[in-house]
Amino acid sequence: MFDFGVIAKNLPYLLSGVQFTIALASLVIILGTFLGIILGLSKLSDNPLMRYPASLIVEITRDTPIIMQMFFIFFGLPALGIRLQTFPAAALAMSLFAAGNTAEIVRGAIDSLPRGQFDAAKSLGMNYFQMMIYVIIPQALRRMIPPAMGLFTTLIKDTSLAAIIGAFELTRAGQEVIERTFRSLEIYLVVAAIYFIICYPLSYYTRKMEKQRAMGF
Amino acid sequence: MAYQLDFSVIIKHLPLFLKGVFLTVEISFLAIILGLPIGILGAVARTSKFKIFNLLGAIYVEVFRNTPLLIQIFIIFFGLPGIGIKLSPYVSGLTALVLYVGAYNTEVIRAGLEAVPRGQVEAAKSLGLTGVQTFLYIIIPQAFRISLPALGNNWVSLVKNSSLVSVIGMVELTWVAFDLNALTFRSFELFGAATIFYLILILILINIQAYVEKRISYKT
Repeated sequence: MFDFGVIAKNLPYLLSGVQFTIALASLVIILGTFLGIILGLSKLSDNPLMRYPASLIVEITRDTPIIMQMFFIFFGLPALGIRLQTFPAAALAMSLFAAGNTAEIVRGAIDSLPRGQFDAAKSLGMNYFQMMIYVIIPQALRRMIPPAMGLFTTLIKDTSLAAIIGAFELTRAGQEVIERTFRSLEIYLVVAAIYFIICYPLSYYTRKMEKQRAMGF
Repeated sequence: MAYQLDFSVIIKHLPLFLKGVFLTVEISFLAIILGLPIGILGAVARTSKFKIFNLLGAIYVEVFRNTPLLIQIFIIFFGLPGIGIKLSPYVSGLTALVLYVGAYNTEVIRAGLEAVPRGQVEAAKSLGLTGVQTFLYIIIPQAFRISLPALGNNWVSLVKNSSLVSVIGMVELTWVAFDLNALTFRSFELFGAATIFYLILILILINIQAYVEKRISYKT
């Protein structure tokens, strides 16, 4: 039945995979947030040349599976002469996915602010950047944080998909151990437990913040 | 030599593509339907007065929401045979999807149940309805209406997540694109086409959900 020795013996190897999971997730979160803010603000822009392309990118990245985007970038782009290694391909695909979802969070938060805030800033003679930096963003940020943290949890879980195109991270490390030991159940349960340990604190705090926000803090 | 785009590969293999689309629709639809009772059951457990149900519900939700779906699929398909439970790819994939969406539904429906005003329960009691009647005819319809937008988000994620069952060999849209890619090396066209198929499916789903939401919303 259960063989716990195999877990103890292979734990260091799995933990070496965790490093790459965390590296991939961090990269995706940073790149995705940066691109997402630009996309979100473009979607709110009055200029149709900014608005429509941004909307198109957001829809495509949000409404198709990440694994498709990964396949497209990893297998499809070489056809156009762009050849990426597994890890960068996974990071790029996931960053685009993160950016599309972040853009919607940014847009939703800014849209939910009362129009009076924009009018007041304009009537004080602020230009677009002053209005955004001093009036809109500080207020919108508080509304963005809970959904953004929810997105980060999803992104950490979704880094497991990088294993499908062969990038080395926790899931791939688990698969390699299983190829050697044939103990699928034990290893996958440990892998699941490691993801849980990483994700649970994040989702716990997200819920706590959502509750606080609901109470009006 | 430059790569020449050749979309005839899509036309040639269109029947296989449509078969994949059909299976994606089928498992997504089944998981949407089966995920609802699971979500309601979970939500009832989470709002129960009995600590033990509450705890079990919480464990279910936290475990399934905080681990990757891919790993859940692997555990069900590759792991469970280790303790004598062998399931086909279809059953494994569907089970994983249902349990995963069920955990998300639980949280959404729980929020919906909690949002139904207490006065509704008191009114139902004063009309002489039993507990079960109150739940079925008073609470659930209102909670469903409140939960629908968030449930719709879960369903959109579900259709996207159904792509993951390709890794255990279910011949759905992603698998078809992957398989044809190995055969023809027309990656750009094939994954592009599959992406567009997903986009169409999701847009249809979003529109159905928006329509239903409009139909059942309060007339003001």
